[in-house]
Amino acid sequence: MTTMTPPQAQPLSEPQTIPTPTRNRSFRALEPSRAGIVIRWIWLSLAGVLAFFPFYAMVVLSLKPGQVVELPGSLIPWQDVSFASYEQVLSGQNILGWLGNTLIYSLVSVVAVLFLSALAGYAFAKKRFAGKEVMFWSFLAMVMVPFHVTLIPMFILMAGIGGVDTYWGLILPTLANAQAVFLMRQFIQGLPDDLFEAARIDGAGEFRIFLRIVLPLCKPILATLGIFVFLWHWNDFLWPLIIAKSNAMFTLTVGISSLQQQNVPLSTMLAGSVVALAPIFFAYLIAQRYVQEGVTGTGIKG
Amino acid sequence: MTTTTSTAPPKSRVARVLARREARVAFLFVLPAFLLFIAFRFGPTIAGVGLSFFAYDISGEITFKGLANFQRMVADPLFWRALGTTVLYTVFAVPISLVLSTLLALGVRRAFRGARFFRSIFFLPVITSLVLAGSIFVWIFSGNGPWSKLMAPLGLGGSWLGSTVLVIPAIVIVGVWSRFGYGMMIMIAAMQDIPRELEEAALMDGANSWQRFRSIILPHLKPTVFFLAVIETTAAFQVFDVIYVMTQGGPANASYSLVYMLYDQGFKYFDYGYAAAIGVALFVMTLAVALIQRLVIGKQK
Repeated sequence: MTTMTPPQAQPLSEPQTIPTPTRNRSFRALEPSRAGIVIRWIWLSLAGVLAFFPFYAMVVLSLKPGQVVELPGSLIPWQDVSFASYEQVLSGQNILGWLGNTLIYSLVSVVAVLFLSALAGYAFAKKRFAGKEVMFWSFLAMVMVPFHVTLIPMFILMAGIGGVDTYWGLILPTLANAQAVFLMRQFIQGLPDDLFEAARIDGAGEFRIFLRIVLPLCKPILATLGIFVFLWHWNDFLWPLIIAKSNAMFTLTVGISSLQQQNVPLSTMLAGSVVALAPIFFAYLIAQRYVQEGVTGTGIKG
Repeated sequence: MTTTTSTAPPKSRVARVLARREARVAFLFVLPAFLLFIAFRFGPTIAGVGLSFFAYDISGEITFKGLANFQRMVADPLFWRALGTTVLYTVFAVPISLVLSTLLALGVRRAFRGARFFRSIFFLPVITSLVLAGSIFVWIFSGNGPWSKLMAPLGLGGSWLGSTVLVIPAIVIVGVWSRFGYGMMIMIAAMQDIPRELEEAALMDGANSWQRFRSIILPHLKPTVFFLAVIETTAAFQVFDVIYVMTQGGPANASYSLVYMLYDQGFKYFDYGYAAAIGVALFVMTLAVALIQRLVIGKQK
């Protein structure tokens, strides 16, 4: 149910790494002049301010409860700061419960998707069995189908088997992740066969080989894929909106959007946004490169 | 389940037994993922297309209607409105996003003091859910928000989300804001593959930066631009979150998109058959883009 990515498109086939900016000292011809750098700084700063403004305004206005917003006065961060909106949203709303639900939704899905797709990817990459090609291509073909085509039948199915408003109903359907299987297969195909052969000769069982040899070797791709799956679930909206019916089951996205329909004051809304976005931003701050790779390297954005 | 694997027939009995065992194990490894697939992708896809030929609602009564849902769709002005809105959004959001991605990628692709900082800033919106950040944008585009203050001298003041004309540009701006960083990262990666010598040679020959971009960088980026265009277009066809949190499809259905209509029909009116038909329309649009992609790639080869 991710945004579909055509399987034949190039950047999907290999997990890309984003090159870190490094200086090439041998050639200087393309290095911009001092004036060039200053000009670049100016226009990039302008773009940066525009891109960052919503975050800035979100934080500052969340600290100004009970005021009529005046421009530009209300955007000055040090005047009349109050944390009342945060108290309000943390005590008056079930936001910590939503946070917990989102964590469950994201973490359980990450672990399950990584495990299942590694298992399947390993078999697709290194094993021979009847029906392998047909299975693999039917996986890939499903990438082409927009999630929304399946939305109604999935809901009817979930309603039929009692999955509405439950954790398992929320999580289970999102575990069928074609991109994950595809990426795992691509990565494992690049691992040398000898490693598995040696273990097999030593008498290790297949599942043991998978756990002890394949999984550790897959660490880099598991990290990239894991971050992507986590982020995607954290931000997922339409599916939780349909499945999580009661306030106690809401994820952050569903809960925060429900606030908007309750006529909650702006500063309280924004305090909710800040609380909901903070964990992701914090993670981004620590692991920027991995997050960037997780989103771009998998060739998909939710 | 038969487990005969024989591209090259195994030589000894032992080898044959081992191959059979391997196949069995492999099948078991694939099985959980495959079952999930049948249940939650394959089955629902077929059911989704199938359902569009039926009338099915909350009463649980299901009757075959042939093409009735599609006939209703073609005659439904709301459907054409939703299709028009979706296409309009796509036509603006995708090119603007691509141009912005390319421009910013050109700005931060090489090392200079601050390159990494700018990349991080530009990437921040990509990991931000528009549902979670929606309320700040509602304020930004509201009548006394900064955007309308900024646009007032141009005669475009007032609430953009309250205007049937300006609501689409507002949604486009937010959509582009949330996606350009992704395109930028992909572009940076692609630009890194351009041989430095080529650009240096052009520089020696006195080519200015526009000429270098036009005749060296851009031809190199063509496949990437194309890839991004396809990804962005299919994503734009599915625009929903931003509309749900900012306008609820309004004012006067001016920002009513296809997926919003699907959601409305399915989960507000519980008209599952009709909602499924809208899903099929979306599917056809997506397939059309994929087909165009195939044709273009085939032509390039």
